[in-house]
Amino acid sequence: MTAVIETKNLSKWYGNVLGLSDVSLEIESGITGLLGPNGAGKSTFMKLVTGQMKPNIGRVSIDGQDVWNNFRLFSRIGFCPEQDAFYADVTGWEFLTGLLRLSGYSGADAADRASRTLKIVELSEDKDRKIRSYSRGMRQRVKFAQAVAHDPDIIILDEPLSGLDPLGKRRLIRLVKDFQSEGKTIIVSSHVLPEIEAMTSRIVMIHQGKILAQGDIHSIRDLIESYPHMISLKCGDPRAVAARFVSDTSILKMSFGPDGRSLVVETHKRDAFFNRLQAVVLETAIEVEEITSPDDNLQAVFDYLVVK
Amino acid sequence: MATVREKGYYHWDGQLAERRFPWWPITRTGILLAFKKRGFRFLFAGAFLPGVVFLGIIYISENLESFQAMVRSSDRLINITPGSFKTFFTFPPVLFLMIAMMVFAGSGLVADDLKHNSLQIYFSRPLRKKDYLLGKMAVVFFFILAVTLVPGLLVYIFKLIFAGSFKFFLSYPWLVLSIVGFSAFLAVFFAFYTLLLSALSKNSRYVMILVFMIYLFSDVLYGILQSIFRTPYMALFSIRANIDQVGALIFAQKPVYHVPALWSCLLLGGICALSALVLSRKIRGVEVIR
Repeated sequence: MTAVIETKNLSKWYGNVLGLSDVSLEIESGITGLLGPNGAGKSTFMKLVTGQMKPNIGRVSIDGQDVWNNFRLFSRIGFCPEQDAFYADVTGWEFLTGLLRLSGYSGADAADRASRTLKIVELSEDKDRKIRSYSRGMRQRVKFAQAVAHDPDIIILDEPLSGLDPLGKRRLIRLVKDFQSEGKTIIVSSHVLPEIEAMTSRIVMIHQGKILAQGDIHSIRDLIESYPHMISLKCGDPRAVAARFVSDTSILKMSFGPDGRSLVVETHKRDAFFNRLQAVVLETAIEVEEITSPDDNLQAVFDYLVVK
Repeated sequence: MATVREKGYYHWDGQLAERRFPWWPITRTGILLAFKKRGFRFLFAGAFLPGVVFLGIIYISENLESFQAMVRSSDRLINITPGSFKTFFTFPPVLFLMIAMMVFAGSGLVADDLKHNSLQIYFSRPLRKKDYLLGKMAVVFFFILAVTLVPGLLVYIFKLIFAGSFKFFLSYPWLVLSIVGFSAFLAVFFAFYTLLLSALSKNSRYVMILVFMIYLFSDVLYGILQSIFRTPYMALFSIRANIDQVGALIFAQKPVYHVPALWSCLLLGGICALSALVLSRKIRGVEVIR
């Protein structure tokens, strides 16, 4: 699959503050999670991709076309900024139709699209209320609505889930996934790892303006050789299982949980361990309740990469 | 890693046309928001009052016999000349009403966008910086031209109708151009003046005060400096006096202040240039460094 968004040696700085440094990425259609702590450069990256800022070095292109100063391209982009970005004195309906007109829709088409989008984000009943009276969740939804109302191919969402309650988050995640299934290219930024994990396994990790890693979260984890894999096993007799592995040189460390029912193994050879475990379970007939990988998730990978 | 997907998501079959006037939605929103402000409708309606009074004067001037008793000692007032039009346009209460309209309708034009971080939403759409600025300026154009050009031309037309001849037109064939030109000058100057101040703060209340106070203070300063230095050049400190000077130039009248009107043109042009510079620096993508 060819890249929809491509950045080459992208760098941006503000005075002597480095925003982004030498970022080269290829982003395909589907959801890509942009992950990093506050101040990592996520918003800078998004503003460069949406053509709002000129890079100091490098270029951003969408389908081979340079983004900077190519304002015609912007009708294909939907951007949901992190901060609230609307007049509080207009209604949700006025806000959305006004922006649709800016995207080039006629009055009737803007009204039609606004109506449909407000329905999607479940704000139809509140469309004539001033945004001032909207709750935080409603504001997030109307902000999301303006990003998708003009049916863009590329949707850039900067911390879209911040401020939403759990139910609101679930709804928005579902919506984002729906757009993914329609073939759109979506970039979602967040500093909350489980939020990104709930949407996609394809991530770009950014820290201090630099790309730490890119790709499938599990593939990235496999590449981090300096940290052994942790495998947690819950069974009736963890010590019996451990006894079978003591002589295995690929096992670096074993520890037991305080409940006496769990065993945590650290190894560089995860696949070999699982093969051996299968045999052990069959031989000893120990009933295994749960096998998990505590460090095969975004948080662990991120912590490893930024050397916490 | 990635799966192959079909792009079957184009819900809309229409043609997304490139707008001829991409700035229009911004102007439309600006005008609508102004009319939503409490009391603005009354102010806007009130701004037509001088035009109505001027129209009344013209009516009286063309029907002197009927108003003999009223205008016995005011012959000069009702002798309609290009000077009368210049007086109408530069009449301090008229300019004051324009400033009052700018306070309500113009102060938040850029300030509110800066406050609400709206620029990033605007500029992630097919909109250039010049479209944005033109859209904002057009809001000011709309209000200023509504209370200058529209009544100016209407009064001119009614003057011809009341007179029942083209004598006035033939005597001053350039007057229509002066009306259009001076209205345009006022619209452009007030647009730059208001947007400059609006871009200086995120708080539209401060901008309201600035728009009003700078105009007023410049006149007060002129009065103070004039009384100290006793030179007409102090008029250059007053926005109102400078507008008056430009008006005199455009309507081919003798300037009220003994200062070359060109100086006033240069000074007001300088304010516009400064405004353009400030706006070009302020209106751009902003990154929050945390």
